[in-house]
Amino acid sequence: MTNELTGRPWSRRSFLKAGAGLGAAGLAGLPLTAARAESAAMNFMQFIGPGGPAKTQSDWIVQLVDAWNSAHDEKVSLEYVPDSEYIGGTKLSSSFASGAGPDVFLISPGDFLRYYNGGVLADLSPFIEPAARADFPETVIANRMVDGKIFGVPMEVEPMAFYYSVKAFEDAGLSEKDVPKTWDELLEIGKKLTTSDRYGLLFETAPGYYQNFTWYPFMWQGGGEFQDASGKSTFDSPATVAALKLWQDAVASGAAPRQALGGGGSDIVANLGSGYCAIQNMGIWGISDMANNAPDFKYGVFRLPVPTGGKYVTVGGGWAFVANARGRNPEAAGRFIAWALASMSPDSIQRVVDWCTVAKSDMPPRDSALKAGAAAFDKGELGVFTREIHPGTRAEPRLPPEVYKSISDAIQGAMLGGVDAAEAARIASQQIDGFLATYKGAPLL
Amino acid sequence: MTAAVAKREVARRRRAAHLPNERREAIAGLLFILPDTLGLFVFLGLPMILAIALSAFDVDGFGGYRFVGLGNYVRMTADPLFWSSLRVTLVFAAMAVPLLYVTGLSLALLVQRSSRFNTAMRFLFFAPQVVSLVVVGLVWQLMSVEKLGVLPRFAASLGFGGVSFLGDPSIALFTIVLAFVWFLMGFYMLIFIGGLQDIPREYYEAARMDGAGRRASFWHITLPLLKPTSFFVLIVSTVTAVAGQQAFDLVYVMTKGGPANSTLLLISYIYQQAFRYGAFGYAAAMATLLVVILMAITLIFFAATRGGRFQYD
Repeated sequence: MTNELTGRPWSRRSFLKAGAGLGAAGLAGLPLTAARAESAAMNFMQFIGPGGPAKTQSDWIVQLVDAWNSAHDEKVSLEYVPDSEYIGGTKLSSSFASGAGPDVFLISPGDFLRYYNGGVLADLSPFIEPAARADFPETVIANRMVDGKIFGVPMEVEPMAFYYSVKAFEDAGLSEKDVPKTWDELLEIGKKLTTSDRYGLLFETAPGYYQNFTWYPFMWQGGGEFQDASGKSTFDSPATVAALKLWQDAVASGAAPRQALGGGGSDIVANLGSGYCAIQNMGIWGISDMANNAPDFKYGVFRLPVPTGGKYVTVGGGWAFVANARGRNPEAAGRFIAWALASMSPDSIQRVVDWCTVAKSDMPPRDSALKAGAAAFDKGELGVFTREIHPGTRAEPRLPPEVYKSISDAIQGAMLGGVDAAEAARIASQQIDGFLATYKGAPLL
Repeated sequence: MTAAVAKREVARRRRAAHLPNERREAIAGLLFILPDTLGLFVFLGLPMILAIALSAFDVDGFGGYRFVGLGNYVRMTADPLFWSSLRVTLVFAAMAVPLLYVTGLSLALLVQRSSRFNTAMRFLFFAPQVVSLVVVGLVWQLMSVEKLGVLPRFAASLGFGGVSFLGDPSIALFTIVLAFVWFLMGFYMLIFIGGLQDIPREYYEAARMDGAGRRASFWHITLPLLKPTSFFVLIVSTVTAVAGQQAFDLVYVMTKGGPANSTLLLISYIYQQAFRYGAFGYAAAMATLLVVILMAITLIFFAATRGGRFQYD
């Protein structure tokens, strides 16, 4: 073998020299790379785009950043991370653990306390004008606030409901009038719709934040709460036990499966759309998922049934823009977020309308956006959410991971593990009390 | 070349010529393994040392470190999920290792002779190895879907209707074991084929002349002479199963540790603590313990076989 530059054969010595040269070049390049990173634009890490799975959403975020960059000196660059690798995976947490967290990122209420207690969420209040602050209903913004300061600006509200297959109803001799209004009716109709190759109804089966999120409203409907005013756990209550038992009964009766298809309980196309189930517990984003992936599938939407003597309530999740308090420029990041979603300018309001009606199907987190997009929010299934489902929305709770895990174990144990619902609630309540006794951080909501 | 450089070169060559050959070879050998050693130290040794050090801290995942000494290890003793995940891991290994051994050896015996058909079969048995584990997990997940999947339908045809292969806590772990064995059996088959080909044919011929049948040959020739291969297969598959390599991916895709934590392996729980809850210190403590368990298992294997040496009488 010869060295093509010199024409001489490669010797052991020349290999070593070349290796040392390459190593030195690599090391010399490090400061240059670091210097480049220092002067780079603010990094906005998220799971939407560019190149995300939903083109309408990807386009929305690209346009948002383009509009900001064309009018401001502090630039923003988008870093797309697939959903499974974002909060569900290692990307976001490992970037913070290594001291290289993004300047702007997205979090849901389920993760709020972990990041707030970690001291990485910047106070956005100074950048939000009073009129815009008043534009966010208390039920939407409260779980992103601590001590009266705003640490996250929601981009959407995603209430939970039930979706049903019109064909499955018709095949079973049912119609829209038969949609269940009580838990008993839900179980009964679920059984009626169950066939040899289809389940009557579907709840999320996989353990995780999403399963907890979808279960909370059933606990609230009977008056259940996580803790009382003194901070003690109230998880071991008749309402909690009843909610655990509802899901347990649905599975034990054979009306609900132990396993969901595709991406799980939040995947409406793989479950309801494929005919695997006739009724699916699902969030508002299911409308756009169906429109994009199964436009010919005929379905209806109804609000969560209530227990005897209970009160209607559903849960509203949703993502929020947050700024890294330890980022390169938290002030510019705060200005960017306020400009994007929390300003009284028509562009900012329209951006929220577009996200909730064009890019996705969601309820807006702002009163002005609901008014500005009134026509769109009143159309079709989105209209059902606006009129019947969303008015009973309660914000997704923010809980520390330890509390979330105890609740998750209770749901899994009762629903799939054959544990008595009362016993599951008692164990979880003990664990929550044990944790709360030493918990130091922002209040649970 | 200037005169000074030429002089230096001559002096260097003289010095080198004075080194005995053994020493020169030793230096050359050390230089050859230096890059690999450096790589192992930087990418394995150093992270291990750091992980052990991390286990003595309470880490919040946002740059906050608080020294807790053995606090994380004490926490483990009172954590029911730690014990549950350790039990799941050991049960998983207890099911997976014998199954891998038996299937690997059986397949090797089936296709050990050279023929076109056997070559094709070897390729087919090895094929799962070249597929991404995520894909393997998704395929098995689809095969297990209640009412629709191949496995529930097959079970129903045998009179076991309504079985949920991934949704029933008493079955889910076994389903993961099946996927794990299916993925790895081709690899161990190849290792066993190598071991079988090392056994001299004369032994079988002599046994046949003495009236030994196939079964006797297997028990008295094949199995004893496969001891080194069996040792390798058992030690590697045990470490793989306990460490949760491959199994982690399958659990992540197929069950996420559910239903009711029945498939939550220790490695999955370590991942949850680190990346879902930000408890990096606690996760590092559990990872350290896992390494200790793996080292203990390896030592037991080596002690039982006198360092992996086998003598044939």
